[in-house]
Amino acid sequence: MADFGVTTQPRPTRIDELIDGTLMSKLDQVDVLSRKIFAGKLQGERRSKKRGVSVEFADYRHYVHGDDLRFVDWNIYARLDRLFLKLFLEEEDLSLILVLDASASMDWGNPGKFVFVQQLAMALGYIGLTNQNRVTLYAFNDQGVVPLPSLRGRRRTREMGSWLLDLAPGGASGFPEAMRQIALGRQGKGVMVILSDFMFKEGYEKGLRYLAGGGFDIYCLQTLSPEEVDPARHGLAGDLKLTDIEDQDTAEVTISAALLKRYKENLNAYCGKLRDFCIRRGIMHVTLDTSLDMTTVLLDYLRKRGLLK
Amino acid sequence: MNWISIPAGLIVAAAVIPPLVLLYFLKLRRRTQPIACTLLWQRSVEDLRANAPFQRLRRSLLLLLQLLVLALLALAIMQPQIQAGRRAGGKTVILIDNSASMTAIDGMDQQSRLDEAKRRAANRIEELYGRGLFTQEAGETMVVAFSDRAEVYTPFTDSKPQLLAAIERIRPTHGRSRIADALALARAFTTNVDPDSDRPLGEPATLELFSDGRIDDLADQVLRGETLLYYPIGSPTADNVAFTAISMERPYDRPTSVEVFAALANFNTEPVIAAVQLSVNGVANAIEEVVIEGAEIDPATGVLIPARRNVIFTPFEQPLGAVIEVANLRADDLAADNAVRLVVPPPRRLAVALVGSDSFLIRTVLEGMGSIERIVKMTGTQFDELAQTGGVDQYDVVVLDNYAPSAEFMVPGRYLIFGATPPLEGLNEFGRGKGQLILDHKDEHPLFRFVNLDQLFISRYNLLQPADDVQVLAEGSDGPVIVALVRGPMHVVYVTFDPLDSNWPFQRGFVTFIVNAVEYLGHAGEAISESSFVPGEALSARLPAAAEKVELLLPGRESPVSVPVTDPTQFSWGPIKLSGVYGVSWEMPGEDDRSARPLAVNAISESEGDIRPAQEIFAREDNVHVAAGGGNQYMPLWPWAVGLCLAVMMLEWWVYHRKSYI
Repeated sequence: MADFGVTTQPRPTRIDELIDGTLMSKLDQVDVLSRKIFAGKLQGERRSKKRGVSVEFADYRHYVHGDDLRFVDWNIYARLDRLFLKLFLEEEDLSLILVLDASASMDWGNPGKFVFVQQLAMALGYIGLTNQNRVTLYAFNDQGVVPLPSLRGRRRTREMGSWLLDLAPGGASGFPEAMRQIALGRQGKGVMVILSDFMFKEGYEKGLRYLAGGGFDIYCLQTLSPEEVDPARHGLAGDLKLTDIEDQDTAEVTISAALLKRYKENLNAYCGKLRDFCIRRGIMHVTLDTSLDMTTVLLDYLRKRGLLK
Repeated sequence: MNWISIPAGLIVAAAVIPPLVLLYFLKLRRRTQPIACTLLWQRSVEDLRANAPFQRLRRSLLLLLQLLVLALLALAIMQPQIQAGRRAGGKTVILIDNSASMTAIDGMDQQSRLDEAKRRAANRIEELYGRGLFTQEAGETMVVAFSDRAEVYTPFTDSKPQLLAAIERIRPTHGRSRIADALALARAFTTNVDPDSDRPLGEPATLELFSDGRIDDLADQVLRGETLLYYPIGSPTADNVAFTAISMERPYDRPTSVEVFAALANFNTEPVIAAVQLSVNGVANAIEEVVIEGAEIDPATGVLIPARRNVIFTPFEQPLGAVIEVANLRADDLAADNAVRLVVPPPRRLAVALVGSDSFLIRTVLEGMGSIERIVKMTGTQFDELAQTGGVDQYDVVVLDNYAPSAEFMVPGRYLIFGATPPLEGLNEFGRGKGQLILDHKDEHPLFRFVNLDQLFISRYNLLQPADDVQVLAEGSDGPVIVALVRGPMHVVYVTFDPLDSNWPFQRGFVTFIVNAVEYLGHAGEAISESSFVPGEALSARLPAAAEKVELLLPGRESPVSVPVTDPTQFSWGPIKLSGVYGVSWEMPGEDDRSARPLAVNAISESEGDIRPAQEIFAREDNVHVAAGGGNQYMPLWPWAVGLCLAVMMLEWWVYHRKSYI
C-alpha cells in the first residue's frame, strides 16, 4: 500500500519509447483538425479565414480608392453601376500548440501521468509536423513556462522528442500565470491542446479564461491515473495521512466506504464542472485514463472529439 | 437478579473503559501516503464532516462495540444471578400435608389450606417444568400426600401433566400430621443403595413441603442429607375452638339414661363464647353456652397452651341406641373438630353362664347386676356339653369359677376365670404360691375403674408364666395376678386366685371388678362409652358370625360400598380418612331386612386443633433449621455474558475487517 500511486514506470529515455514506428505509421494518415480556421504564417494545407489572393471567392466589399482594379466585379458594376471588390480565401498553415503540465502531480500514478502526456504530446506533435503544421510545445509549472517554439516538418520530430525527454516534472503547477504567459506570448492562432490533470488548487478558471479569449481552438485533455479514478480498487485503505506531492499539504483521512464514495462524487463533480466551464467557452474537454492504449486514445477518442481526422 | 461481586466488576470497568475511550479518541497513527493532489480528498473529508451527527455515530460504532465488550466482561465479573425456575435438576419430592388442620378455611377466596397447598405445588411444578430460557433440566418429581399415613400419588416422573393430575387428586383427611412415613417413602424412592447402579450412592432428593407446619413428629426426624424446603400455608390469625374429648355413660342405676361429657380447647388468645349443642340422632336435645378463656403462650418456650373447658350435659333418657353428636355452633376456621359423635348402643342386657362350684360369692354379685338379663348356672360337665354343641356363643360372658375345662372344650368366647388356670397356650402355670400383695395394676384399664387393689392380700394363688401376648393387668409380688388374653374371638380375663383365698370379697372393689369385667367382656368389640375411632385408624366391629354382604356407608355418601369380609366377627376397614358417622350393614340368613350399626369417627387431636401455621419448622439433629419458603435457586448469568462478549468481539472483528471503520 505504501506504493499506492507512486509511479513505478521508468521515465522514457529514448524517442522510440515515446512513439514507436507502428504508431507512427498509423499517425501518418491522421491530421489535426480544427473546428475553426486560423491564419497561419505560412501557406499550409489549411483553409484560412484570412481573405487573400486565391481562387476561392469568399466575399464582396465596396471599392475604395487605391484598391486593385483587377478584383472589381464588373458584372455587379454593370448591373448596379457600383464598384465592388471580390474577396478570396487565402490558404494558410495550422499552428498546433501543445501545453504540457510539468508539475509534480503529473509524476504520479501507474501508468504515470507525465509519461502518458509525453507520449501523447509526442504523437500529436508528430501528426502536426507530418502535416506541415507549425508545432509549438510548452511545458509549465510554477517555475515558469518552457517553450519549444515553431517546429515544422517531419525532420523536426527528433528535436521535439528530445525536448520532451528532457522534461522533468516538479514543483507546483502555476497554471494561471503559465496560461497568461502563453496567451500573451502567443502570436497568431491555432489549436491548443492542454495536457494536464487540471487538479489545480488555485483553480483552472483563470488560466483557461486567458486562453479562451485568445481565440484558440482549445482542447483540454484531462489526464488522470487509475489510482485517482478509483482509489479503492487499487488498494487505498486504512488510516492515512495523504500528502500532496506538490505542496506537501496533508489530509488525514480514515478510508471508509463513505469517504470513497464522497471522493468519487467530488471527482465526477470536479470533472463535470471543468467540462461545463470548457463547453461554455468553446473549449473541448476530454478525460483520459492513463491506462488507456495510446492508439485508442488518438485514433478513437480524439478522432471522435474532433481533434484529429 | 442479584450480584455476587459488584465491586470487582466496577473496578474492572473503571480500570479499562476510560483508557479505551481515551485511546480511541487520541490521534491515530496514520501512515503517510503521497498523493497527486489532496484537493478532492480534503473536500471529501469536509463533506463527511458536514454531516456531523451521523458521521460521528458511524465512526464510533467500533468504539461502542468495544465498550459493549468491556461492559459484558465487567458484567460477567459481577457474577449476576437470576432467579430462574428456582431449583432445577435431580429428584424432587413434593410433600403435601392433607391432615385435618389443612382443611381450615383461612385462605383467599374461602379456599382451604389444602387447596392453597395444591395450588402452590402446581405452580412449583410449572416452575420446574416451565421450559424457560433460563430453566435447567427439572429432573424427576414425585408427589406424596401425608396425614397419619403417607400415600404416593405419583412416583418419580418428569411428566408435567401427570404431576399436575396427581396433585389435583389429593383429597383432604381429618387425620393428624405425621411425616415419618412420608420421609421413609421419599428415601425409599430416592436413596440409591445399589453400588452397581450408575447413580451416586445415597443420592438425596430435595423435599419440598407444603404444610401449615403442625406436624407431630417432625422434631423427631433426622434429615439424612436431604434438603427440606418448607412452604408455610395458612393465615397466622387462624381461629379455632376444638373438641378434645367426648364420652358418655349409662349410670348403673339408670341404664336407660345417658350422660354425655365433652371437652373443648380454645386455641385463640382471646376468650370466646361457644354454644355447644347436643343432638341425638340429629335432633337437638340440649344446648349449653360456655365461655372459654383465651389461650396463653408460654414465655419460655413460645408454645401455645390452649384454654380448656369441660361441658357436662344433663343426663337424658335414651333407652334405645342412638348417635349422639356434640357440636360447637361457633363458626371458626377449622370445621373438622367442631363436632364429635358417639354411637350409643342400646342398653343390651347380658346373658351370663356361671360354671363351676356353686360359689355364692360370684353368683350374688352377678345377680345384683342390673345389666345382666339372665344367669345360667351350670356344672363343668354341662359346660363341656354346651361347648361341644356350640352353645357357648349364646352367652355373652362365661364365668368359670374354679373350673378349667379341657382344651377341646375351651371354645372361643368371652371368659371371666377365677382360680383354675384355663388350658390356653401362653398361660403357663408352674405351681402355687402363698401370700402376696398387689404391687402394680393398670388402673386405667376398664376392669379397674373404681377398683383399688392396694389392700388386696392373696393367701393362695397360681404361679403363672404368661406369654408375650398375654396382658398382665395386675402384678403381685410373686408374679402376675390378673391377666387378659385376646386371641381373635377368644377374650379371657383370668384371675389367678380364688377370691375366697383372699380378702378381696371384703372390699368394695371386688364387686366393682366383677361388674367391670362382665361389662367389659360382654360388650367387647362395641363402642360403649367413648368413640374409639380416629382418622388414620381402621374401623373395626364384631358382627354376627353369620353376617354376609357387608357394606359400609361413608359419611356424606349416598351409596354404601361393599366390603369383602372373611370373618364377620372381625370386621375391619380403613384407613379412616374423614370423621363422621359410618354405617356398617349386613344381611343375616333368613332375614329380609339388613341389619346396621353406626360407627363414629372423631377428629380429636390437640396438635391439629392448633392451626396457627408455623413460619419455621425444625427437624432434629442439632436443631437444623429448615428454611421457610424459598428454595430459590439462582441461575448464574456470567456464562451468558461471556458468550455475548465473544459474539460482540466477532462482530467487531467483522466490522473492522470489512475495510470499514464506521
